[in-house]
Amino acid sequence: MVQVTRGGFAYPGTSLEFKTGTWRVERPFHLHRVAPCHGACPAGEDAQAYLALVEEEHFQEAWENLVSANPLPAITGRVCHHPCESACNRQYYDDPVAIHNVERYLGDRALEEDWPYPVSRPAADAPKVAVVGAGPAGLSAAYHLPRQGLAVTLFEMLPEPGGLLRTAIPAYRLPRDILNGELGRLISVGMDYRGGQRLGRDIFLDELREEYRAVFLGPGTQKSRDWSIDGATPEDLHVGLDLLKEWMAVGKIPTWESVAIVGAGNTAVDLARVLKRAGVREVHIISHKAIPAPGIPPEDTMPAIPREITQALEEGVQIHEHRGVQRLILRGERITGIEMVHMKKLPGKDGRLHRVAFEGTETLLHVDQVIPAIGQVLDPDGLEVLVDGASFLKADGWGRLPGHPDVFTGGDARGDRGTVTEAVGDGRRAALAIASYVAGEPIPEEHSSEPIPFEAMNVHYFEPAPRPREPVLPPERRMTGCAEIEQGLDKVQVVGEGHRCFSCGNCFACDNCWTLCPDTAVLKTTELARDGSHYVFDYDYCKGCGICAHECPCGFILMEPEHV
Amino acid sequence: MSEISIPVSKLRKKQPRFQGIDSGHRACPGCGAALTARLVTEASGPDVMLANATGCLEVFTTPWPESAWRVPWMHSVFENAAAIAAGMESAMKAQGKNTKVIALGGDGGTFDIGFQCLSGMLERGHNVLYVCYDNEAYMNTGVQRSSSTPHAAMTTTSPPGKERMGKRHLKKDIVAIVAAHHIPYAATASVAYPSDVRKKVRRAMAVDGPTFLHIHAPCPLGWGHDGARSIEIARLAVETGMFPLIELERGGLADVMPIRNPRPVTDYLKPQQRFRHLFKDDVRAREELEHLQAIADHNIEVYGLRGERPDALDTEAADTAHRGGMRWA
Repeated sequence: MVQVTRGGFAYPGTSLEFKTGTWRVERPFHLHRVAPCHGACPAGEDAQAYLALVEEEHFQEAWENLVSANPLPAITGRVCHHPCESACNRQYYDDPVAIHNVERYLGDRALEEDWPYPVSRPAADAPKVAVVGAGPAGLSAAYHLPRQGLAVTLFEMLPEPGGLLRTAIPAYRLPRDILNGELGRLISVGMDYRGGQRLGRDIFLDELREEYRAVFLGPGTQKSRDWSIDGATPEDLHVGLDLLKEWMAVGKIPTWESVAIVGAGNTAVDLARVLKRAGVREVHIISHKAIPAPGIPPEDTMPAIPREITQALEEGVQIHEHRGVQRLILRGERITGIEMVHMKKLPGKDGRLHRVAFEGTETLLHVDQVIPAIGQVLDPDGLEVLVDGASFLKADGWGRLPGHPDVFTGGDARGDRGTVTEAVGDGRRAALAIASYVAGEPIPEEHSSEPIPFEAMNVHYFEPAPRPREPVLPPERRMTGCAEIEQGLDKVQVVGEGHRCFSCGNCFACDNCWTLCPDTAVLKTTELARDGSHYVFDYDYCKGCGICAHECPCGFILMEPEHV
Repeated sequence: MSEISIPVSKLRKKQPRFQGIDSGHRACPGCGAALTARLVTEASGPDVMLANATGCLEVFTTPWPESAWRVPWMHSVFENAAAIAAGMESAMKAQGKNTKVIALGGDGGTFDIGFQCLSGMLERGHNVLYVCYDNEAYMNTGVQRSSSTPHAAMTTTSPPGKERMGKRHLKKDIVAIVAAHHIPYAATASVAYPSDVRKKVRRAMAVDGPTFLHIHAPCPLGWGHDGARSIEIARLAVETGMFPLIELERGGLADVMPIRNPRPVTDYLKPQQRFRHLFKDDVRAREELEHLQAIADHNIEVYGLRGERPDALDTEAADTAHRGGMRWA
């Protein structure tokens, strides 16, 4: 009770007796919403979280946060198509944050300074899991399983790990020392690696299923799709991926004067660039889809990564869009050309897409060789009991195969993937599913809320700043040697990118709410509150005016009706 | 990680700022005047004495027997805040104490009824900081027009209708009048730029002599907008040029906050119900909009407010949010 005074005076601060909180019709609350970069990353990285640490130059902590989802940042920072940047809210203000450059910087720093992965050897009596295939999916599973307390044996058919990372991605995209450094460090933690073990030849599925509590299959797609033009093929048929692998393994491939590559994916584009470097004068890509550009719908875009396509065009590769090969022109056994025709994939009466060639648009292209790069399918050898003639292993979002509760899969073998980052995400999710299966518990649900939209930001509080451009080797300098084409950003630029991040949906302690509340009803704490921020609403006095929510730059404060 | 519970009352005592005015006061939700008082006393620190004129601030902070103030505070009558401040200052001087006297008054108690005492206090050169929180009408008594009410604004005593389009007269240029007393420092500020308010308060506190701060404080009830938008509306007033942020020393212009991208006045007027008659289909309405735009353009020209290039202290950058906050001016 306030002391009633005899005169016209009052004691200081006695207004605290009157709880103006009773006036409210709505109240503010904190909500950590999913940032669009986090929502878009196939591997499940929370880019907003590690960008915050990068801004404060806590690089090792930032790296540890990143590798809690993806153990291969030095690799994905170079080869991923970065859907995070395509989703970044900053693009609607000025330029998206260069997240892949930050990821690459953190990965490279970890390699230089040998930061330990946050994973320890599981207990001696931990349940054992077999992982088949040391490509990105298998490596990711073999990394996440010990983090769940399970023991892993990783089998790989080649002597060295990596899968397509090693056999098919050229060094100008992914330098060898980075690949070997990253994988070398990863293999040495918490798993038992056995190279030179091929499924169906050295190890067998039924034996694995008996000896291990669960099996993760990341075999990739080792078989090329059959290809012919009306039954005809070149006499010396080379398949795109095999040629690429030969270049990676040996350093030389057969060359011709001019080559046409049929296909529109990363293999086709990588092979085209490799052929240019090997000395082929004219390299053509025959694609029934279009080069990515604004206005081209996604279903009609070439599936290869856009910056690879741009660099291929810079290097002199010619891309024929919306074309198909109708006939091979032969002289005896040798190919002298192809007949191209305008072609698109259009939905048919059954609703599925069919290749449609447009009569009357035929042209001739003189080439000495035609190389198909039209995709790969699962090699069923050793997996007959699971596939029954299908081209892929059909699994659910967690990698579980129907009818085989102890077998899981991920990566290209699933059929609905095509990138390294998706494979890494598959490995992580499968590891969680395996851990739940081994413990006999249901899989814990992951967040599936909508990412916070740009409109929720208060962008007045951010200064415009352009995105730094990383140095890129000009096309003339790329052809000799295999130097990395994109050279990354330096530390100052990377910290600057952390500063440009809006911190969508997550408090960055800017003090706006604390400063602007007319009723001093927002209090600051040094301790971290349960909702992840350093601010607390004093609901005894908050009148629900909404200034804090309106002026919050990152959309962390929302208003809800007051509970009566 | 262990969890601990901290009572909010304890947190309240550990805030890294001085609180001259505490919670529980009876201001409307979203009140610009309450925010002004909080920012001013925060920046001034505890060694002050306040002289408050009658008005919203005086009424909602001191519902007897309660008071929200945490510094010595006095209220006499509507018009004499400057006079009693002068008396307090003389008493401090006689006692050899350094406690700064701050006079607080609304636009009514400063531009109109308190004008005479203010002019006297300034002329006699007392070491008093006079802070006028400007909500552009006599809000406490139910939104009557003052000489600070902008041209064409609606109040209960300047209603729009057949005869008039809101207030006929123009907003009194109080800072120019005050500056004509050749006082060491006079400035305008806005609650939309709290760091700028702090900087100007500290500047004025450091002066030994009369100083004057004119702080724009939106009134959601009187201006007719959502309380949540108070800061946004205050910012728009600055960005359109309707409320220039300037500093004057001894009557001469010393500094301004440049406007990076001046906005049309309609951006500021549209969200407020007190200007809604200007958006009806009426030739007089269109003329008034042009008049207000001309006033804003005039302010920008006369004070040189157009920014040539982005500046760290212009209207876009002065309140940029930074990780970790704690950005004191």
